[in-house]
Amino acid sequence: MKKLFLVLAIAALTGAAQAGQNVEGLARTCNNCHGVGGVSAGSAMPSIGGLPRDYLKRVMKQWKYDERSAITMSRIVKGFSDDEIDALADHFAKLPWVPVPQAAAAEMLAKGKETVAANCTDCHGLNGGDPDVDSPKINGQSPKYMELEMQKYRSADFKMPHRKMKKAVQETPPTDASAAARYFGAQK
Amino acid sequence: MHAFNRRNFLKSFSAAAGAFVISVPTARAATGPKARVVVVGGGYGGATAAKYLRLMDPGIDVTLIERGPLYTSCPLSNEVISGAREIKTLQAGYGGLARRGVKIVHDEVTRIDPALKTVATASGGSFAYDALVMSPGVDFDFGSVKGLTKELSETKLPHAWKAGPQTLLLKSQLDAMPDGGRFLIVVPKGPFRCPPGPYERAAQVAMHCLHRGKKKAKILILDANDSFSKKPLFEEAWKALYGYGQNGMIEWIPAASGGKVEEVDAGSMTCLSGFDEYKGNVINVIPAHRAGVIARETGLANFKDAWCSVKPENMESTAHKDIYVIGDACVGGDLAGNNAFPKSAHMANSQAKAVVASLVAKFNGQPQPVPVYTNTCYSVVAHDWGFSVVHLFRVQGGQWVYIKEGSGISPVAFGAKEAPKPVPRLYRKMEVDYADGWLRNVLADSFG
Repeated sequence: MKKLFLVLAIAALTGAAQAGQNVEGLARTCNNCHGVGGVSAGSAMPSIGGLPRDYLKRVMKQWKYDERSAITMSRIVKGFSDDEIDALADHFAKLPWVPVPQAAAAEMLAKGKETVAANCTDCHGLNGGDPDVDSPKINGQSPKYMELEMQKYRSADFKMPHRKMKKAVQETPPTDASAAARYFGAQK
Repeated sequence: MHAFNRRNFLKSFSAAAGAFVISVPTARAATGPKARVVVVGGGYGGATAAKYLRLMDPGIDVTLIERGPLYTSCPLSNEVISGAREIKTLQAGYGGLARRGVKIVHDEVTRIDPALKTVATASGGSFAYDALVMSPGVDFDFGSVKGLTKELSETKLPHAWKAGPQTLLLKSQLDAMPDGGRFLIVVPKGPFRCPPGPYERAAQVAMHCLHRGKKKAKILILDANDSFSKKPLFEEAWKALYGYGQNGMIEWIPAASGGKVEEVDAGSMTCLSGFDEYKGNVINVIPAHRAGVIARETGLANFKDAWCSVKPENMESTAHKDIYVIGDACVGGDLAGNNAFPKSAHMANSQAKAVVASLVAKFNGQPQPVPVYTNTCYSVVAHDWGFSVVHLFRVQGGQWVYIKEGSGISPVAFGAKEAPKPVPRLYRKMEVDYADGWLRNVLADSFG
């Protein structure tokens, strides 16, 4: 038994070491869609550099094990080992979060701020940059990405396991949610 | 450029630089560069190679030789033909690379000497290299269809398979096509650049016709092959959106049913296969491809006399040492298992990163990394309907291995296998947004 444990422990360490060694190369394959340093050039793709390690790990593993729906990522991550996912999460979590503020009309921002104050601040903070422990930063995140994610939370066809976020989105009218996305997307 | 501005980009670069720079040149600056790398071809592959060399080791001297001043992305250029996208959203210049210290030379490469390790250009330039990255793209074999010439291709029978003037030419031909007109797409025998491209084009043309009141238009795909990329996804969409088959707007005629076009007559606007004649108002002839001329003249096209065979671990040519071939010109992947590298922009970008990681390690005396090759390719068949394919290749035991678990097309059906349901439209709609997000980001990652 002891021997078996030792073998397993060595195997696990080797796996982690190998994933660690190659993580820079693996992470570079993410840049195509998520940008150098995990800072997206926008539109539907989110920035991922500087997001919390546990959040990144959790989401990638939920996709891998079909506990969460995605369009593309759920296919991609199935090719990665758990060690590689952990190493990627470590890698991107260590990078600085770089908000890319997107301008929006003053009226939209006011509406967004109102929605955020009523629905989002508990987890994400007032500007999205000071979130609760298990939530991602979303100040200066791509508004288009956030709108698409909320469409997923609103739809019964997508498996979205975060109950609190699901409830919050489903209780918010789509136009208000959209304004909230624009508001967070405009923050520095 | 359009989607990302320079200020943000520089900000993100400086924030990330610490994580990417492997070594910083110090005393060596006085004694010249650590190594000289010449990159031939400024498409997705070449641009990415040049950028990442500078990003990962600023001590390397990088020269990019490219004919044109402005690159136009082939991916999503079918949307320009239909009128759904402006061509400028597909374009990138070389200023971003120049700001990273890449020496940009707008010239034509005329000769490469693999023994002397030099590159000569049309205007008399000569460049010595320690490593040469070739990303020459494809050359069109106009002789593959009788009656086709380069001149006809540029005037009357455009391929629009290199985005740019021909994309706009084909668009103007489609715009002028009357209701009841026939649009023929002539597909060459594979492998060709952008495997799902002809079928996406058929859908974009159909969308154009539907929205412009040309409801009696017919789009005929005359195919030299008997199957194609993402086939079940295309057929589902064609059927649902435009009508598919003999009575639909889109019809696909495989080689086995007489779809292989042997000859085209520009005068009577007719395509001839061994079996049938097809008349068209617009004839979009995509000639067969092979590796770019300069790659063939350098003796790199050692695979079926058409493509460049390379090593799995770092894309080095199997014909010449210190020459690396990436992008559409190379052949790679799990050939025996019928999972070759698709000729795509993302693949070229991924291959470029593999070369760069290998070269940076080599020039710094570090162990060679094991590369991972990835691909994502979106097809947009209507303003609210898209789908994709992803690929993952690893290198094991000196061979490429196609990783099935990390690869595959968008779902064809939803729910339990025993009782499949159609995939929700929201899935298809979101892929159109992801296609746009992919474009902006891959342009930024390659040229920014």
